[in-house]
This record gives sequence, C-alpha cells and structure tokens, in this order.
Amino acid sequence: MFTLPYRELPLADPGTPDATSGSGYLRWLAKKQWKTLSAAVLFGVGWMLAQALLWSAIGEAIDTGINNHHPSRLLFWVLIVLVLGIVQAICGTLRHQLSVENWMYATYRSVQLVGRHVALAGLAVTDDIPAGDVVNTVAADVMRVGGAFDVIARFIGAIVAWIVVSFILLSTSVTLGLVVLLGVPFLALFTAPLMKPLHASQAAQREAAGRLAALGADTVAGLRILRGIGGESVFFDNYRVQSQRVRFAGNRIAAPQAGLESGQILLPALLVAVVTYIGARDIVAGTLQPGQLVAFFGYTSFLTTPLRTAIEWVISSTRALVGARKVLAILAITPLVHETKNPRVWPEHISVYADEVSGLRIEHGSFIALVTETPTEATQLTDRLGRFVNDVHGVTLDGVPLDAYSLDDTRQHILVSEIEPRLFSGILRDELMPHGVSSLEAMNEALEAASALDVLDALDGGLDAIVEERGRSFSGGQRQRLALVRALLSKADLLVLVEPTSAVDAHTEGRIAERLRNYRSGRTTLVATTSPLVLEHVDTVAVVREGRVVASNTHEALFREQSWYRNLILRGGDA
Amino acid sequence: MSALPIADFHVVRAHARKKAREHRGMLLVMLSLYSLAAIAGLVAPLIIGKITTLATTHRLHDHEITVLVTQMLAASLLYTLFSFLARRRSYILGEKIFAELREEFLHSVLALPLVEVERAGTGDLLSRTTNDIEALARTVRFAVPEWLVAIIQAVLTLVAMVLVSPIVSLAGLVSLPVLFFSTRYYLKYATPGYLRERASYATLSGTVAETTEGARTVDAHRLAERQKKRVDGNLRESFYSEMYTLLMRMNWFPAVESAFSLSVAATLGWGGWLALNHDVSIGAATTIVLYVVQINDPLDRIIAWLDELQMGQSSFARLIGVSVVKDERPTFSVEPHNEVITVRDVRYAYREGYDVLHGVDLVITPGERLAIVGPSGAGKSTLGRLIAGIDAPRTGAVMVGNVPLAAMPLDMLRRHVALVTQEHHIFIGTVRENLALARPSATLPDVEAALEAVDAIDWVRALPDGVNTELGTTGFAITPAQAQQLALARLVLADPHTLVLDEATALLDPRAARHLERSLSAVLQGRTVVAIAHRLHTAHDADRVAVVMDGTIVELGGHDELLAKNGEYAALWRSWRNETTSAS
Repeated sequence: MFTLPYRELPLADPGTPDATSGSGYLRWLAKKQWKTLSAAVLFGVGWMLAQALLWSAIGEAIDTGINNHHPSRLLFWVLIVLVLGIVQAICGTLRHQLSVENWMYATYRSVQLVGRHVALAGLAVTDDIPAGDVVNTVAADVMRVGGAFDVIARFIGAIVAWIVVSFILLSTSVTLGLVVLLGVPFLALFTAPLMKPLHASQAAQREAAGRLAALGADTVAGLRILRGIGGESVFFDNYRVQSQRVRFAGNRIAAPQAGLESGQILLPALLVAVVTYIGARDIVAGTLQPGQLVAFFGYTSFLTTPLRTAIEWVISSTRALVGARKVLAILAITPLVHETKNPRVWPEHISVYADEVSGLRIEHGSFIALVTETPTEATQLTDRLGRFVNDVHGVTLDGVPLDAYSLDDTRQHILVSEIEPRLFSGILRDELMPHGVSSLEAMNEALEAASALDVLDALDGGLDAIVEERGRSFSGGQRQRLALVRALLSKADLLVLVEPTSAVDAHTEGRIAERLRNYRSGRTTLVATTSPLVLEHVDTVAVVREGRVVASNTHEALFREQSWYRNLILRGGDA
Repeated sequence: MSALPIADFHVVRAHARKKAREHRGMLLVMLSLYSLAAIAGLVAPLIIGKITTLATTHRLHDHEITVLVTQMLAASLLYTLFSFLARRRSYILGEKIFAELREEFLHSVLALPLVEVERAGTGDLLSRTTNDIEALARTVRFAVPEWLVAIIQAVLTLVAMVLVSPIVSLAGLVSLPVLFFSTRYYLKYATPGYLRERASYATLSGTVAETTEGARTVDAHRLAERQKKRVDGNLRESFYSEMYTLLMRMNWFPAVESAFSLSVAATLGWGGWLALNHDVSIGAATTIVLYVVQINDPLDRIIAWLDELQMGQSSFARLIGVSVVKDERPTFSVEPHNEVITVRDVRYAYREGYDVLHGVDLVITPGERLAIVGPSGAGKSTLGRLIAGIDAPRTGAVMVGNVPLAAMPLDMLRRHVALVTQEHHIFIGTVRENLALARPSATLPDVEAALEAVDAIDWVRALPDGVNTELGTTGFAITPAQAQQLALARLVLADPHTLVLDEATALLDPRAARHLERSLSAVLQGRTVVAIAHRLHTAHDADRVAVVMDGTIVELGGHDELLAKNGEYAALWRSWRNETTSAS
C-alpha cells in the first residue's frame, strides 16, 4: 500500500469565496487547492505518456528485436514495456488519489460554505429558495462542482500526450505527424456537435425523472391516506404515466448517446486507417519499418483515450459551472435581521419589556397571555419581540430600543418559541439542552413541567435515546412537549411561547398550564394562546385587536365581562 | 418500528432471471449486435499483423495496401454501425426494464398491508422510492449493459487470439490470476465501504434538510454554530469513508495495471521468441500483442463495474423486498347485515406481554357520535385503529354487523369505516384528483358538492384554475386548514357509514380547528362518528363520551350524565371551562 500524504477534511475554515460569477468561484476553488491540482496534473501527464510510449517500445521490439533477429534487443524492449507498465501503474494510482482529493476539496469546501450559510441565514434562504432545492444543492450540485476538479488532471495529461505523440510521429514522418497533430482537434470538433442533442435530451429526461421521483415520494408520503380511503389505482396510473414519460424521454437519449459513443469509435478509426495507409506505403518506399507502423497504429488507437477525456472535460466543466451558480445563489442571500453595530451591553436587570406600537407591556416576573383574533397577529407581535424581523421600532427594554443590543445577546435572553418548533436528530439529552449542562434535577423539573416524563418512559434508553430526523418518530403532541422542555431549559429571561399546547390533549394541557407558572416563577413569560385551560392560569391576559392592546385583565374578568372575548375563546359562542 | 424486509440473494437472482426471460427476444438481438460489433472491432489488429508479415517478407505492394486498408475501413464502419445499433437498443431496453422495475415497486408499495404502512412509517419506504431507484437507474442503464459488452468483447477477443495462434495466446493469460485474486479481495472489503459512503452522504443531506427546514428554531435557539459543526461532523464521516474506499482502490489499481502490462510484456517476449524461431509468423505475434493490449480495456471494465453492480444489487434487493410483504388479511367477503359496531373484550399488544388494551367492551349504534377522551398513552389511538379495522385485536373481536372488521377485504372495509388522522396530505395533482381518489367514479358535480359540504367551494373556485388547479409540493400552496378541508371532502366522497377521527384537528390552530369541526359535524350528520378528542368541546357535542384510562374504559355515558357522576370526566370538564356555566 502506498499513498501520498493528504490533508484531513473538513477544513477548519472554508474561507470566503469569490462570489462574482460561477467561473470566478471555480477559479477561487482552484487557487485554494493549486498544489494538489498541479501534482495531479503531473501524474496525469506521466500516466498518459507511459501509455503512449508503450507503443514505441512495442515497435522497437518488433523492428530491432524480431525483424533484425536480436533476442537480447527483444528482451531489452520487453523489459522497457514492463518498466513503462510500472510507471503507468504508479502514476495512474497516484493521479487517482490526487483526483479524488481534488474532487473532495472542491466538493467539501462548497458543502461547508453552504452548510454554514444555511445555519446562519436559513430563514432568509428559505424565503427565496425552497428547502428541497437547498438540499439538492448539497446532494448533487456540489458534487458537480467537484467533478471538474477530478477530470482536469486527466484532461491536461491528455493534451500533453497528444502533443508528445504528434512530435514523435513528426520526427519520423512529417505527413503522419501532421495528420495526427491536426486530426485529433479536428475529430474533437466533430464530436462536439454530437453532444448538443444529447445534452438537450438528457436535460429533458432529468426533468421528467425529477418529477417522477417527486411523484413517488409524494405517493409514499400519503400512503396512509391512499391505503386508508383508496385511490391506489389512480395514483399508480399517474405514476405509470410519468414513468413511461421518463422512459420515452430516455429512449430519445438512446440515439444521440449511441451516436456519441459510436462516433468516438468511427472518427479515430478513420484516423487509424489514414495513418495505416500512409505508413504502409512508407514501408514499401523503405522509409518506415514494420514495427514503427505497429507503433503508429498503437498511438493513433491510444489517442481515443485523450479524445474521450476531452469530451468528459467539456461535460464536467459545464456541469461544474451550473453547480457553482447554484452554490453562489445560496451564498448570496443575506440574513433577514441585520446585526447591530456597536451594540450596548445587555443590562443586568430588565423591569419592563414594551412594544409601543401595540401598547403591550410585560413586567419582570409576570406570566402574561396574549390573545389575538388571528394567529398571524400573534406571530407578528412575537416576531417583533424576539427581533425576528428587521423593523423592531417601538420595542424597548426599560426604554432602550431592542435593536441597540446585539442579536446574539437578544437570542440568549429572549426566547421566542414558534408555533411548531422543530426537533433535530441526535441524542435526546443534547437536543433538549443544546447549550450543554443542566443538572439532572433541572432536567427532571422541566420534563415534569412540560408533562413529558411519559414520552421518556416510552423510549428505549430514556434521555440517551436517539431522536430521528426531524423528530419524526414522535407524535405531534410528543414533539410539542419535548420542544417545550427545550424552551424551558433555556432559562431565558423572557420566554415567549406561541400556542405551546395546541397538539396535546386536554388532560395534559391542563397539567402543563398549571405547572408552567410555577416553573417560570421569578422570570418573565408571555404565552400566545386562546386555550382557556392555559388562560385561566396566567396573571393577565392582553387582548390585541387590529394591532393594539384593547384590554388587559384577568381571564376570569374578561370572560365574565366581555362577550366578544368569550366568543373568541369558545369558538364563536355556539357552545 | 418494524423495518420492511430486504430480499435475499436467491429472490434477487430469481427476479433477475425472470426479467431476462421476459425480454429474451430483445436481449438476444442486442447481444448479437454487440457480438457483431466486437467481431468487426477485431479486424484492425489482424490487418496490421498481415501488413507486418508482408512487410518483413518483402511482399507488401501498393495493391495489397489498398485492399487491406479498405477492409480495415469497412470493418471500422461495421464496428461503428453495429455499436450504434447495439447501444441504442440496449439503452431502449434498459429504459424499458427500469420503468418496469420502478412501476412494479410502486405497485407493491401501494399494495402494502395497511397495518404494515401504519407501523413501518414512511422513512424507509421513502428512501427506497428515491435513493434506491436512483441507484438502480445507474445499474440498469449503464453498469449492466457496459458489463455485458465488456464480457462479449473479452470473450470474443480471447477466441480470436486462440484462432490466430493458440500458442502465443498462452502468454496473455499470466494476468488472470492476479486480476482474479486482487479483485476478489477488493470487492470483499470495498463494497461495504461504498455502502457506508452512500449512507454518510444521506446523513449529510438530512442534516442540511433539518437545518434549512428548521431555520427558525435554529435561529431562536442559537443552534447555528452547532448545526455548522454537525455538517462538518457528517463531512468527516464522509471523508473517512471516502478515504477508506480510496485506500482500497490504491491497493487494487497497481495490481490490476501491473497485471495488464505484465501480460503485454509476456506476450511480446513469448511471441517474439516464437517468431524468432519461426514457430509463428511475425504478423501473428504482432496481432496477438495488439489483441492483448486491446483486451485489457474490456477486462478493466468488467472488474471496474463490479462494485457498481454489487451496490445496484443491494438497491434491487431493497426494492423487491417490498413485494415480499404479503397482505395477510384473511378475506371472507361476507357483507355485514347491519352497521352496528361491536367491540367485545378486546385486548391488544404492540410488544408481546405488554397489553395496551385490557378487555374493552363497547357497542356503537349507527348514527351515534362517540367521543373518546383520556390522557396521552391511555390507548385511545389503539382503540381507534381497531375500530377502523386496520389491525385485529389480540383477543376479543371488533365487528360491524357481526363481521370482523380486520377480516374484510380492503375495498369493503372502506365502504364501512374510515380512519382520519392528523396527517393531512395533499398529493401532487389537481384539486379534483386529490378528492376523487376516494371515489374514482366521482363526477364534477359530486366533487363540487363535497367541497360545498366542507365549506371549501368558495376558496377552491377562487384558485387560478378552480378545481383543476395543481396542488401539492410542486403546485399551488394551500394553508393547512384548507388541506384539512380537502381531506374532509375526500371523506364525503368516500361515504363510509362510520368515521374514526384520531386527533384529526389537533395540529391546527385551535381557532381554525373549531371552524372545521363545525363544518364536519354539519356534513357528517347521520354517520357514526368515533372522535378521539383532544379538545373537550368535541366531547360536549358527542352523544356519548368514553373516558379511557390505562387501557380500559373507566366511564361511559352522555356528557350530562358523566358530569352528574362527578368522576374523571367531570373534573376535567370543570377545569376546562369553569366559568362557562355562569356566563351562558
């Protein structure tokens, strides 16, 4: 086993790319890995040359060894063939290693850039680009970016091999040399038009196949419904129609694809025939040895490889450009909320959180509910309180504007838990305490408060159980309670919970509402909800209509005195 | 979670053979064309050999050259032509077989037993539908044809070598043992590496998907740094698995490449020696050397595609594994003579020895509205699933009109009872298609009537193309509440006499849920409704309430009756709206 030393991935810092254009990005990547690229080119050239020179040795063996009856010469050239074989094996293997590295450097660097950006500016990204496309960029586009860096060493090796072969031929026969020197680019130009119809039909099939995959995934996602109330035959027919579309789109590729491949047989074969014809006549004329003709035949047949490589290069670099543009499209998106320049130091104590626009006031230590007519109104308000939008004009902490503080401090001290908070895959304990250590006691208190101990009981491994992707193995109610535990454990100064119990049953909801208050005593909590089970446990209910706080009182008093409030709470009053 | 099966090697092989038999004719034509192409490709070295012999014996003249080069050209043209025809046919055949495979797969998926679908979850199936089908595409489209071509070329070249000179050809065989053993070693250790590699990229996609979809949570909980580290961690795993397979190849490639040049050198030396001693002609020796160089290419491809074929086989095994699952619903098609649902001493366990229902008895009369309430984990949903006929109880019986629900054919079951869960899925397709799946024969007025019934006709008409508007992940986006309304409209079309609603509205905003429940109760007048309730107003509207605790029904009766009883239900109700009584 032999390998060149390699650099470990992922990189500590993927750097800041040239984001001006797709080609600029590719150039930037190339600059970052110029050493492995150059080394790969070096071995790529050696690998191709060894293959080409093999034919010189074979020709010499035939001429000087066999034809001239020199057994020792024959042996010598046989040994040279072996040495060239070993050189080819070594260069080829190292070239392969370096190509894989080049592919990985370009691919992984791009994944890291996209991954980091999505983590930082995810909300803004999904406003512009569907989440599925982002995933696709990481799963497919970055690989295409890497693809160009894989092929490049072989491509340059191919060019060098072509030039070297041409000069070897030129030195024996000017005609033959020129035929090859000019013939190969000529062939390449002829092959290029064969690729156009192929690309068009491939793109058409990819699109059809993408739709088919979406249809398949969609059918599986809704399988419970299809198996529950029927419609399998309808959906199977839909799938089959699309599947046949993909098939026929594929059939349209068959001819251009087969054409490109057989073109790659025919065009070099024509060159071989020309070279053989000229070479054989040179033998008759006495200017060429039979072994040299064999070598020329070999060179020309060998040149199929560089030709194929050149075609591969055109395809892969085109794809890399497309991939690079997709990467840049994601990187170009800026976070929704701008960070504060020269932020203030977060105060030791905050007595009042206020929103002057709506008139909402939250005093330190209070447990307040927010009731709005529509869920959108509630989210608009809580987004402002948590600074999830840029315009937080009027939101103040003890009179100081919220955006005078740094975003990071804000997130640390004010936690807004949205209506359907996500769970992430990982060990449950880490998912509940993403910022590390709370005591087991604190964990139990939070689990108790969110009435989530039974979720834990049902899990193999309890807190050490693995949460699956998106927490999909939990029911909606379980997910919601676990997310609540996570929010509680954050110990935020101000905790804003939006409909934290919408997915749990009434028994559990009542329990949670009761315990939440005790759990948060001494800290500040705002719950946006219309559930009477929660409302009856809060100090004050702030009712917002048309963007303004219109009433602020206990749930009991509001319920007794305000019929519209009662209607709002009890589904329009038809109870 | 029980995983779906993966077909074993024998099933995979039998399946592949069956496919080959089904397409025997096309396969035969394709293979013949490939053989013709390969034979035409063998002519050029033969002619070079001839020229060499003629040249070294000074019998080469312009006339021969013209004839030989013309033959060479003709052979190349035939080679090109046959290759074109063969490849085109093989792509077309590949597309055909691949289409059949994926359609057969989806057909099996759609025939999965209901209980299996409910139990296994969609994660595994989804990855089979997308990842495995994609992996198989490469295998069927490229790996299998390339591999067959390479084998044909290699075999025919070998035949040609033996025909030209068996004795010189012997030397070409020296590479075979090296190739065989190094490749066997390589495949044994490399294939698991490639599978690990593939899995690591799937995990990476998963992390990015989670981070993107959960962007808001990431932001709120300051998880950006952590998610970044996770991406890096996934990449590290990918990197190590890449490095592992790379190292495997770094061992293997030199062996293969050296074996190739060893065979060239051996043939050149051995053939040259024989030619020097006039045992063979110099042309024959030359031709064999050219053939040995030429055969290295198909040999290389034969072994290079092996790992791809192995991985394709593992995807194939996962795809046909689904078809191995047989629906074990016993089906005696006895039509029930009435619509009364009887639950008799029902016990049920997910894990052996751990009953979650401990002898439940219940009779539900037609047209009744029954609410099932109780704490999480009490067995409400399990009871609902049994009443919906999805699964059979461990002991006891759940029957409609004395026919066990779990033994009904699916078509019949659907006419009697439907389960509605909190999952509302909008399929890719038009509004109409989304509804008509419940009753494929539904006319436009039927569909519109159903939409009207659930109070959805107005917004549907306002859509860009009305009922023909494309919905789903690739179409027009509708709100969760609208999606739920469509799900209800499906039920109107399906028209079962009994509905089991399991948390059907729980995930929605409570304000929207109340609206939906109103339209639901108006629409489903006259149907038997079993509602597993999260919200107590559902219970209030019901004819009877069953309070389930720890796998048994502890209280059963009308709302007022249970309030008067002052038990579990009454306590719950009081806490839910303690002031309502004074207000209304």
